[in-house]
Amino acid sequence: MAERTGTAEAVERPESLSAWQLRFARVFPYAIAFLAIVAGWQVAALIFPSYLIPSPGSVVRRLGGELAREAFLITVGRSFFRLSIGFTLASFLGLMVGLASGVWPFFRRFTRALVSILQSVPPIAWVPLFIILLGFGDYPIILVIIIAAFFPMAVAVMNGVEQVEKLHVDVARLLGADNKQLIAKVYAPEVIPSIVTGAQVGFGNAWRSLIAAEMVGGVNIGLGWFINFAGEIADMTGVLTGIVVIGLFSAVLDGYVLERLKRRLLKWKYV
Amino acid sequence: MEIRVKSQLGGDGPEKIVVEKLVQSFDALTVIDRISLKVAEGEFLAIVGPSGCGKSTLLRVLAGLVKPTAGRVRIDGKDVNGPNRRHSLVFQEHALFPWRTVFQNVALGLEIERQSHEQIRQRVTELLALVGLDQFPGYYPHQLSGGMRQRAALARVLAVDPDVLLLDEPFGALDAMTRLTLQDELLRIFLNSGKTVILVTHDVEEALFLADRVIIMSTVPGRIREVIPVTEKRPRDRGSANLAGLKRTVLGILGLEPVIGNVRVPETNFSI
Ligand SMILES: Nc1ncnc2c1ncn2[C@@H]1O[C@H](COP(=O)(O)OP(=O)(O)OP(=O)(O)O)[C@@H](O)[C@H]1O
Ligand SMILES: [Mg+2]
Repeated sequence: MAERTGTAEAVERPESLSAWQLRFARVFPYAIAFLAIVAGWQVAALIFPSYLIPSPGSVVRRLGGELAREAFLITVGRSFFRLSIGFTLASFLGLMVGLASGVWPFFRRFTRALVSILQSVPPIAWVPLFIILLGFGDYPIILVIIIAAFFPMAVAVMNGVEQVEKLHVDVARLLGADNKQLIAKVYAPEVIPSIVTGAQVGFGNAWRSLIAAEMVGGVNIGLGWFINFAGEIADMTGVLTGIVVIGLFSAVLDGYVLERLKRRLLKWKYV
Repeated sequence: MEIRVKSQLGGDGPEKIVVEKLVQSFDALTVIDRISLKVAEGEFLAIVGPSGCGKSTLLRVLAGLVKPTAGRVRIDGKDVNGPNRRHSLVFQEHALFPWRTVFQNVALGLEIERQSHEQIRQRVTELLALVGLDQFPGYYPHQLSGGMRQRAALARVLAVDPDVLLLDEPFGALDAMTRLTLQDELLRIFLNSGKTVILVTHDVEEALFLADRVIIMSTVPGRIREVIPVTEKRPRDRGSANLAGLKRTVLGILGLEPVIGNVRVPETNFSI
C-alpha cells in the first residue's frame, strides 16, 4: 500500500514540477515581444514629431480617457457584437460542412473545389457587393466575417474527420460500440483538436476582416470606423489608440482564452 | 488438470470456430487462398508464417472486421458478419487511444457496456495488476514503453471477457523477460477461463510453449502448410527435448534451421 501512494506521487510529479516552468515558458515570449514593440514605438516617437507618431505614454493616457467615454465603449461593443455573431455562425456552418465533407467523399470533393476557388478572394473584397445587396449596416460586415471564419473551420474539420484513425474505430467496434458510442468515444475526441485549430485560425481571420470591413464598409460605429475616422481628421493618437485596443483584445482572446480552451481539451498532449 | 489431445481436425471439444474455404483478396492480390480450419472450444491455436502471408488478415476476418471475399467463417455455428464483443482481437499495433490514460483505455469496453463507475474501477484495477501496469494508471500511451502499451492493449480486451481471444503478436515488442512472464500469465488466463485462443506469433518457441496446435502458413497467398499438434502436458518445460525437436521441425518447414553454417543462432527468442 505504501508503494501505491508512492506511485501516485510519481505520476503527478512530472506535471507539478514543470508547471511553473511551463507557465514561464509560455508567458516569457509574449513579454519580450510586447517590450520590443513598445521600445520600437518609443524610438519612432522620439524621431518623428508627436503629431505624426505620438508616444506610447500619450496613447495610454488617451486610452484611459476613451475607456471612460460611453461612445467609445459602445463602438467597441458594436465590433464585438458583429464579431461574435459572425464568428459563431461561421464556426457552426464550418463545423457542419466540415463534418459532412469528412464523412461523404462526394461532398468532400465539392468543398475542396469551393475552397480552392473562394479562398483566393480576400474576404474584404466582397464588401462592395454585400453593401449593394444588403445596404449599409451590420449585415455586410457580419457576412464578411462569416466568409472569413468559415473556410478555416470547414477545412480543418474535414481533414480532422478524414484523419480519424481507422484502427481506433475498429477497436471500439470490437468492444461492442454502437454508432452513438463510436461518435462519442472515437470520432469526437479525434476531431476536437481540429475543431480547436479551425476556431483559432478562423478567429484570427474574422477579427482582421471585421476591422477591415468596418474601415471600408461605410458604417459609423465600430473599432475599424474609429481608426478610419481618426485618420481622416489626422488624429494620430486616436489611430494608435484604436490599434492598441485591437492588439490587446486579440492577444487576450486568441493567446489566452482560446489557448486555454485548447490546453483543456487536449490535456493529454501537454503531459 | 485435464489435458486434451487435439487431432488435426480440431480437437475433442465442440467446434467453436469453423473456417471453410476462406479466400481474401485485396484488388488483384489474393492474400488468403482457400483456408479451411476448425478450432475446438477451449483450444489454444498458434499461427506462424512468413511476414505478409495474411496472418493479421485472417484474424481480422475472424473478428468480423473484414468481409471474406469467398468462403465462410462460423463461430458457435453462426456466420460471422460483423464485430462482436464475444470474439475480440488484440491488434499487432497496440491501437491505444492517445487521449485516454492507461486506466481509461482499459475501461473503454466496460464504458461501452455501460457498467457503473465502481464496477469499472474494480475491474480495471484488477486487470492492471494482472498485466503489471498497476503503477501506471494515469499514464498516457505516449508516456509508456512499447511493451507496456501492448500489455495495456491486452488488458483492454481482457476487460470485456471475450470467449474467443484473437491475439496478433501481442508480445512482439517485449523484452525476453517480460515476454516469458506474460506467456505464463496468458497460459494461466487460458487454463482458468476455458477461452478459445488464436495467437499469431513470430516466435516459434512461444507457439510451442503455449499452443495445442501450431499452424504453419505458406508465403502469400497464405495457405495452411502444416499443422503440428503439441501434445506435451502443461505446464511445459521450455527447455524440454520434445519441444526442441518440434522447434527444429517447424523451423525446417519454414525453410530455416536453428544452426546456419557455423553461426549458432541463439536458442531463446528465435524469431523469423
Ligand atoms: N486493407 C488492405 N488493403 C490492401 N492490402 C492489404 C490490406 N490489408 C493487408 N493487405 C495485404 O495483405 C498482405 C498480408 O497482410 P497481413 O497484415 O495479413 O500480413 P501478416 O501475415 O500479418 O504479416 P506480418 O507478419 O508482417 O504482420 C500484405 O501483402 C498486405 O499488403
Ligand atoms: Mg501481421
